[in-house]
Amino acid sequence: MLKVEQIGVAYGAIDALHGISLEVGQGEVVALLGANGAGKTTLLRTISGLIRPKSGGIRFEGEPLGNSSAETRVKRGIAHVPEGRRIFPGLTVRENLDVATTVWRRRGMSAAADLDNVYALFPRLKERASQLGWSLSGGEQQMLAIGRALMARPKMLLLDEPSLGLAPRLSEEVYRRIADINAKGVTVLLVEQNTVLALEVARRAYVIENGHIVLDGPARDLANHPRVREAYLGA
Amino acid sequence: MSQQFIQLVVSGLAVGSVYALVGLAFIMVNEATGVVNFATGQMVTIGCFLAVTTGLQMNLPLAPAYVLALAAMALFGVAFYAIVFRPLQDRPVVTVIIGTVMIGIVIQNAALITWGSVPFRPRSPFGRQVIDVFGAALSAHALFVIVVSFLMIGLLYLFIYRTAIGARMRAVAQDRDAARLMGISVDRMFVLTWIIAGLLTGAAGILVGPMWFADVNMGDPIALKAFAAIIIGGFSSVPGAIVGGVLVGLAEMLGAAYISSTYKDGLVFLVMILFLLVRPEGIFGERIGQRA
Repeated sequence: MLKVEQIGVAYGAIDALHGISLEVGQGEVVALLGANGAGKTTLLRTISGLIRPKSGGIRFEGEPLGNSSAETRVKRGIAHVPEGRRIFPGLTVRENLDVATTVWRRRGMSAAADLDNVYALFPRLKERASQLGWSLSGGEQQMLAIGRALMARPKMLLLDEPSLGLAPRLSEEVYRRIADINAKGVTVLLVEQNTVLALEVARRAYVIENGHIVLDGPARDLANHPRVREAYLGA
Repeated sequence: MSQQFIQLVVSGLAVGSVYALVGLAFIMVNEATGVVNFATGQMVTIGCFLAVTTGLQMNLPLAPAYVLALAAMALFGVAFYAIVFRPLQDRPVVTVIIGTVMIGIVIQNAALITWGSVPFRPRSPFGRQVIDVFGAALSAHALFVIVVSFLMIGLLYLFIYRTAIGARMRAVAQDRDAARLMGISVDRMFVLTWIIAGLLTGAAGILVGPMWFADVNMGDPIALKAFAAIIIGGFSSVPGAIVGGVLVGLAEMLGAAYISSTYKDGLVFLVMILFLLVRPEGIFGERIGQRA
C-alpha cells in the first residue's frame, strides 16, 4: 500500500535520512523503532508531505505522491497523528473532530456516523465533547488526536509515539484501540519508543538508527533479536 | 452638562467602534499568520478613499458606492496577501513585518498620487441629520457607525465561532502544521483572513470618513489607537478588541472635553502604557493554557 523508496532528507547541510526504503502492505500494522533523533519522525513527516525529501520517492497505492501537498495526501487517504498530539488547544473536542472532515465533506453532508464511530472507540471524548482541547488530560488528548485523524476517513494511519507521556495502563488502552482501528481495515505505520508495546501490536517492524534502516522483519523475530533486546528492550 | 456628556459618550462610542473594527483587522491577521500588519492604517485610508471615489467622484448613490468600495477592499486584501505576505511567508517574522511597513509607505504615497493632498469631506447617508434624545443632539451618522460596526463584529463573531469554515480558520491559527495534516488548505484560510482584514479596515475607513476628513495621512493615527485598543483589551481576543476600542474612543472624547484637547492622544497612550505596566495581557488575557 505504501512504498518508500530510497528517501533522503536533509535539514540544511545535515542529512537526517540516508536512503530509507520500506514497505507497508494493505491492512498491516508496521512499527518503526529507534532511539531519539534516529529519524523516525522525519520519515513520517516526509510521508505526510510536511517535509520535502531531497532524493527518492514515495508511492501510495501504486501511485507516486511526488511533490503533492499535505492536504492532497490526506485526501488520498493518509492521516498523520503527529508527535506531541498537536490537537487544537482552543477548539472544543467536537470542533477538533469536525475540522478534520474538511477533505471529504461537502455542503449538506453529515459526519454523524464518523462521529459515532470515534465516540464508540473513545467514549471519554463524547463526555468531553464541548470542552476545549487544552483542558483534556494527556491520555484524552491522545485519544482525540487519533479520533481526529479517523474523521478524515483514512486508508492509512501514521502514528507518532502514541504512548509518549502516558501512564502504562493508558498506553495499553491506546494500543488496544489501535488494534481495533486496524481490525476495521485501516493500515497502520507507527513510530514508537515503547518497543514492547509496539512489537505486541505490529506484524512487522523496521529498526532505524542514524537515518539508516539497520534491521527489519516480523515483529516476533525482532523481539527476540539480540541487538533489539539489548538496545531497545533492556534485556 | 449632562446633554453634552451624552453627546460625548455617543461620539466616543462611534470612534471607539471604528477602533474596534481596525483592532479586529490587526487581530485576525496576527492570529492567523503571527505577524502584525503595519499597513493596517493605510488599508483604512484606502477604504475611505475608495468610498470617496465611488460616492463623491463617481457620484453613485451611497449604498452601491459602499458595496463597491468594500468589494474592492476585499480584492485589495487578496492582493496584499498574494503580493506581500505569500512571497515573504517563510522568511523570519521581522522580514515580514518590515515588508508590511514598506508596503504601508508605498500605499500611502500611491494614495497621495491618486487622490491628491487636499482632504475630501465624504457624504454621510444621513447628511448632517441630528436626533434628539433626552435633549441631547446626537449625530445620526455617529449612531449609524455604532450600529453598523457592532453588526459587523457580531457577524464576524458568528462566522468565526459558529461555522465550519470559522473553526478551520481557528485551527490554522492555533497550529498550522496540524491543520495541514487534517487536510485544511492553509493557503485558502489565509486568503480568507486577508479578505476579512480588507473588509474590516474598509468598513472602518468608510464609516470614519464623514466624521473626520478623508486625508491620505488619516490611517496612521487610527491604526495606532486601534493598536492601543487591542493592547488594552487583550491582544488576541474579540471581546477585548471591542472593549479596548470603546475605552480608547471614550478616553479620547471625554479626555478632550474635560481634561485637555491638546493631550487627548497622549491620554490614550498613557492608558495603554499603564496597562502594559500593570496588566500586560490586557483585560481579556489569554484564556488558552498549555498542558503537556
